[in-house]
Amino acid sequence: MIIPDNKPLRYNEEGNVHMDFHGATNTTIDFIIKNYGVDVMDQIFARVGKDVYADIRRHLTAGNAGELVKHWRHFFDREGADYSIDINDDEIVLSVRHCTAYHHVKKIAPKVSDHFCDQTIKTNEALAEGGPFTIATEITGPGSCRQIIRKRS
Amino acid sequence: MIPSDHFTRFYNEVFKFLETQGEDALQEYWLEISKNQDKHTVDLFREKGLEGMREYWDHIRIEENCDLDLDINDDRLELRMNACPSLGKVLDNDADPMGRYCDHCAGWIGPILDRLGYHLVYDVIDRKKPQCVMQVFKDQEKAHLAEKQAKLLMGWPGKADK
Repeated sequence: MIIPDNKPLRYNEEGNVHMDFHGATNTTIDFIIKNYGVDVMDQIFARVGKDVYADIRRHLTAGNAGELVKHWRHFFDREGADYSIDINDDEIVLSVRHCTAYHHVKKIAPKVSDHFCDQTIKTNEALAEGGPFTIATEITGPGSCRQIIRKRS
Repeated sequence: MIPSDHFTRFYNEVFKFLETQGEDALQEYWLEISKNQDKHTVDLFREKGLEGMREYWDHIRIEENCDLDLDINDDRLELRMNACPSLGKVLDNDADPMGRYCDHCAGWIGPILDRLGYHLVYDVIDRKKPQCVMQVFKDQEKAHLAEKQAKLLMGWPGKADK
């Protein structure tokens, strides 16, 4: 499922992290859903998965989930999340115990959108669409989830 | 999670959708983002004036890894963005950039400064280059004079009423 390489990610940001952007994402999700509906919001997340993350998607389509795992590690580390990744022959499981995006929004916004985690669920679905893997996202609590990559049966 | 590092690329996708819905849709969204920014800006700007604005954008300079210069003069604050990471990421992107990506910045800042009685002059210079000059004046006449020097002057919701 993983073909190791030492190449940097397509987007390999470093430097400081501006967590308040998650607040703007929260505002955006509620704005789009209120004015255009949840299907439009899902379509925008699908564009992120397919177009913005075209390189991760290319790797997944070629049977290599390693680029997505590298992406998870890089950005969850940068944001200081509490997470672990378990890899075996059948599946790769990302367990997020403390999502710093969710908890930052909870701290700065009046309310975390009911659809906040759709950014993960829908982007993952778009990344995997038409490829050899599925990516399931299970919300296990407020600010925690499991994301599971499996070979499509 | 869409990482905070990638928010601007997500923002770009939102703009591309809203552009298909018309100018009013874009402006309504900028106003929503503007409201979202109230808590970070309005009290600070009201209490400390131009110095509060310098504090706010210096915080942004650090957190968002901007290459920018900030100067306060008696009559204005001037921000010169030498390398904007927001547009920089949108251009360094496997998805197409929205042609008017830069417009959102004046789109959310302008309404806040209007409410507080300041006068914004936002020169994007070139929408394809991650550089711009923002000036905030206390005096409207000085702002009007500065507008005449701008290469690509930005508007915002409510600007036409001024």
